[in-house]
Amino acid sequence: MLEIEQLTIEYSSGGYAVRPIQGFDLRVDEGELVLLLGASGSGKTTLLSAVAGLLTPASGSIRFRGEEVTGLRGAAQTAYRRSAVGVVFQAFNLVPSLPAVENVAAPLWAAGVKGRPAAARAAAILEQVGLTDRAHHRPGDLSGGQQQRVAIARALAHDPPMLLADEPTAHLDYIQVEGILRLLRELAGPGRLVLIATHDERLLPLADRIVELTPRAAGDAAATEHLTLAPGEVVFRQGDAGELVYVIESGEIEIFRELAGGGEEVMVRLGPGKYFGELAPLFGLRRSATARAVAPSTVTGRSLREFREQHGADLASGLPAT
Amino acid sequence: MWRIAFRDLQWRRRRFLIALLATGLVFSLTLLMAATSRGIKGEARHILDAIGADAWLVAEGTAGPFTTTTAIEAEKADEVADLPGVRRADPLILLHTTALLGTVKDINLIGYRIGGIGEPRVVEGRVPDALGEAVADKKLGLKLGSNVDLSGHPVRVVGIATGVTFFYGIPTIFTPIEDTQQVAFAGLPIAMSIATRGVPEEAPPGLDLHLPDAVEKDLKRPLANGSSTIGFINVLLWLVATGIIGSIIYLSALERVRDFAVLKATGAATRSLFLGLAMQAIILSVGAVLVAIVLSRLLAPGMAFAVEFAPIDVVQLAGIALVIGFLSSLAGLRRAVGVDPALAFGGS
Repeated sequence: MLEIEQLTIEYSSGGYAVRPIQGFDLRVDEGELVLLLGASGSGKTTLLSAVAGLLTPASGSIRFRGEEVTGLRGAAQTAYRRSAVGVVFQAFNLVPSLPAVENVAAPLWAAGVKGRPAAARAAAILEQVGLTDRAHHRPGDLSGGQQQRVAIARALAHDPPMLLADEPTAHLDYIQVEGILRLLRELAGPGRLVLIATHDERLLPLADRIVELTPRAAGDAAATEHLTLAPGEVVFRQGDAGELVYVIESGEIEIFRELAGGGEEVMVRLGPGKYFGELAPLFGLRRSATARAVAPSTVTGRSLREFREQHGADLASGLPAT
Repeated sequence: MWRIAFRDLQWRRRRFLIALLATGLVFSLTLLMAATSRGIKGEARHILDAIGADAWLVAEGTAGPFTTTTAIEAEKADEVADLPGVRRADPLILLHTTALLGTVKDINLIGYRIGGIGEPRVVEGRVPDALGEAVADKKLGLKLGSNVDLSGHPVRVVGIATGVTFFYGIPTIFTPIEDTQQVAFAGLPIAMSIATRGVPEEAPPGLDLHLPDAVEKDLKRPLANGSSTIGFINVLLWLVATGIIGSIIYLSALERVRDFAVLKATGAATRSLFLGLAMQAIILSVGAVLVAIVLSRLLAPGMAFAVEFAPIDVVQLAGIALVIGFLSSLAGLRRAVGVDPALAFGGS
């Protein structure tokens, strides 16, 4: 079983602290196929990297079969990558100099499996994914679908109990997609869970469960809120999901970005009558900055529709992108 | 994991082949340099062996028979011959001059007493038995019977010798000492040194005694700068070879960043990636040594200096090639170690 609790992943982008995954929880049982659905930048790949033991989160926990993944280092981390998890990378990422059978055997070689047993195991997996006749072709001589099958076969080399796939249909046409979908569905069974990151909605019927990583705009459903803020109190934080557009009734609000080193970069200070935080609900993005009161203030947060009715403003012009 | 490195060599075979040839050419130059250095040093020993003296006497205060410019009376050889320990003594003139052979050519001229010490061994023709005859080194390209103008003094070639060059491969002409006295000293009965069979217990007044080892050292001394230059050039050539192999391995590592990330993400240890790079560099280096062995033999006839190949040079080069291969792979190591396996998640 995979258990993720209060996971926050932070990295630096252009000097700003970016948290594509913040306070994320997920539990996946063996035999399940779970889709991580989200737009580009929603943190799907980042989340898979952390689950694969390739990226250390800022906080939170990832446990697989009771073992804490985030604390693994050195040999234990390598052993986890070899035995517990198989990864199907975006764009296949096969080694171009190796024929299909050796691409599949490469993780086995890395684990110290000798040439013949590794070749036999690789051939058996290629047969499983229907590529026996292409085993000795290099990636450049294979179609996209065939390359993706080789990539899946490579991920299965150690017969891992968890399979992660990052955009497995991104480079495939609809004919190739069908075969890959069927294969991925078959792989989720007793003793193995499959976690797929995608923004391809063709995969939806395949899933036992869908986890949306892109914050859904509440749209008209979001309730109006009135906030009375003391100096230093925060309206919303960088990285939060955003549903409301805020109008300042009194006081002063500063919009700032959190820097990767822990500092802050103030973008603008706004006074009564101004509004902020419109981009996140408008485009379904996370807040790209933090809003904080610098003086005793009152603000009102409204849904997009309500805001438009009251202000009739051009929402995407002239204000900081929050 | 060595298979992955080997497959990559196959995959980029054109590039590796070009690097192999370029490095092989550089290595062949180092072999040629070593052979030239050995040849330059060797010719000193060869000329001493050819003359076959057990000891040399030169004017007091001079460094040796090949570098002295101080003349002594030729008849002193007869006095030396009577010294205890000496079985025979002959006057010799060893000097650097020019000969008119269509064009002016630098030569070493050795004047010796007919039948005495210093008489050359010929591979063709015969040794002179009269004045006006000469033996020439094969390198001069002279035929038997051809005439040579030695600073206005004509001699006729009656014999050809080989391997009698010194001072950077300059060929030698042997003439009876009287002819050499005509060329250099207007016929005066003087010599530059006295060569002996047997070693005199002490030198007579006005002369210094030099044994063959000291003479060889004196003969090589003017060559020291040339030899050290050759050694310096060799080091530069090894650096060039390291640069060629290093840049190829580094470029290869740069192009394989995604591959390294994928291999790391699928459980490959950084050490095994480094060993793969090191293996590529060492295959390249050792392959270049083999190319160099062939190329150096092909290029040797074009060298103006004496060239003397020795197996030890190849063994030394192979050892250096392994070190170069290892050092070169360090360039790629940094890339391989630094690759973040999370990069494997990136798209194309």
